[in-house]
Amino acid sequence: MHEQAFRFGQARHLVGVVGLPAVIDHGVGVIFLNAGMVYRVGPFRLHVELARRLNALGYPTLRFDLSTIGDSGASGQRLSRPDQVVADVRDAMELLKQQSGCGRFVLFGLCSGAQNAHAAAHADPRVAGALFLDGYGHRTLGQRVRHYLPRLFSPTVWRHRLTRRHAEAPATPRANEPAFVVEPLPPAIVREQLTDMLTRGLKLDFVYSGGVARYFNDIRQFRECFGRLADHPGISASHFKETDHTYVLSGDRQKLLDHVEQWMGRHFPLTRPGT
Amino acid sequence: MKARVEAELPFYFGPGRELFGFYHPAAAVTGTAVLLCAPFGVEQIRCHRLYRQLAHALAETGLPVLRFDYYGTGDSGGETKDFDWVRCMADVVTAASELRNRHGGGRVLAFGTRLGANAALAAAQAARLDGVVAWDAIADGSALVRQYDSMQEALKVDLNRFEYARPDMDVSSQWPGFVRGDHLRDQLHALRLLDPGITSAWLASALPDEASLLPERYHQRRVSVDVSPRWDDVDCLEMAILSHPLIDAAKRHLKEMA
Repeated sequence: MHEQAFRFGQARHLVGVVGLPAVIDHGVGVIFLNAGMVYRVGPFRLHVELARRLNALGYPTLRFDLSTIGDSGASGQRLSRPDQVVADVRDAMELLKQQSGCGRFVLFGLCSGAQNAHAAAHADPRVAGALFLDGYGHRTLGQRVRHYLPRLFSPTVWRHRLTRRHAEAPATPRANEPAFVVEPLPPAIVREQLTDMLTRGLKLDFVYSGGVARYFNDIRQFRECFGRLADHPGISASHFKETDHTYVLSGDRQKLLDHVEQWMGRHFPLTRPGT
Repeated sequence: MKARVEAELPFYFGPGRELFGFYHPAAAVTGTAVLLCAPFGVEQIRCHRLYRQLAHALAETGLPVLRFDYYGTGDSGGETKDFDWVRCMADVVTAASELRNRHGGGRVLAFGTRLGANAALAAAQAARLDGVVAWDAIADGSALVRQYDSMQEALKVDLNRFEYARPDMDVSSQWPGFVRGDHLRDQLHALRLLDPGITSAWLASALPDEASLLPERYHQRRVSVDVSPRWDDVDCLEMAILSHPLIDAAKRHLKEMA
């Protein structure tokens, strides 16, 4: 495994680290997009751990910072944020192609990174697959039933309500922190774009954590959200109910790494493994 | 400004090119450069943007800067469990040498946060540092170990984060967000604040945690800064620390030392 740092992009405004396996397969490279405002190493170094695991298997990787995040600066171009993200990912693909020779790419994104990966995957034909962690999904009737029904019949919940005692409640709801959020695409548009991607032959994987139970709380919900798309052989979904949104525990990160390794091996098998 | 940002270089250096660094050249060289020593673990990620802003601010005033990641952290080689206190101090020495090579010799000052401050102070002589600005340096290593342990215990039952409380085996041998070795735990237990015997300034957050409460002998040199990083709060693990007062204070003291 070999890692090299780069300043790159049309305006040399982007910063990233390319990881190369000992033997380059010239097949598919994996690009990591920022999870929210966390810089390229990812939450609790998730991207570093996963990139190195993939390098050891034989996949080239690039973890980089989008414009104005982490170590990357502004491009100076007058683009909307969604267009800038797509332009940045194109620059990233160009760099990884120069360094590794691979011409197809898998995008990895968590949270807003999943939204950005979705946009770039839809926009660029060189994207062959994407891993969306806590990506698109919306509340459904089933989600509400699964959320509220157990509470309706829970003596503990009723006791707390009636007595207004909170001594047994182990968690105090966290106050909302000020945050910049991006308005997600409407579900109909998401479905339409996913259909386009699958028609183009992309492989897509959705992983939902227990940290987003406010909008996704059961694997059955994937079908409720995306209907017959859920049956498409190019799409898969998992629900890691026990994990949190940012994979703070190392065991949870390892489980995710194992999952990604298996998914990559299934859809993008290497002919010449890196180690 | 744009041209200088373009000139900033990310690179790998040191034996085996295992350390990641980011060099910020200054517009006009003053003969003094600054090494930024990051804190450890989740604190390093929380401070990343702040360090970048501080690097820009210092470079603009004529002080070239090197930011870097210790072995086992950030973009540097090694797994998180490989982070070791002795290696960390050696990395400070390696980074100071790299900075001298890049800016052409001269004086080198250091700024460090939490364990990064301790690393700079402990390695000051070997790294030939001419001054250190420390922010919330760890005064009591045992208190820091207790704090990390207690945060990890709190994480286990944090129902704002997890659907269900996690069993002990899921959280053991870790501090918030990172695997740690028993070796590191022992090293940090023994950690005490070292006065480097060189020019130093001691910045302290408005509400310091137990681990960074400075002993009485430092009180006259202590400079309170209006920033609340909440190092010991598990609700802040993903919260970036941004503070203009901190950048202004660090810059002022480093300029005075330059």
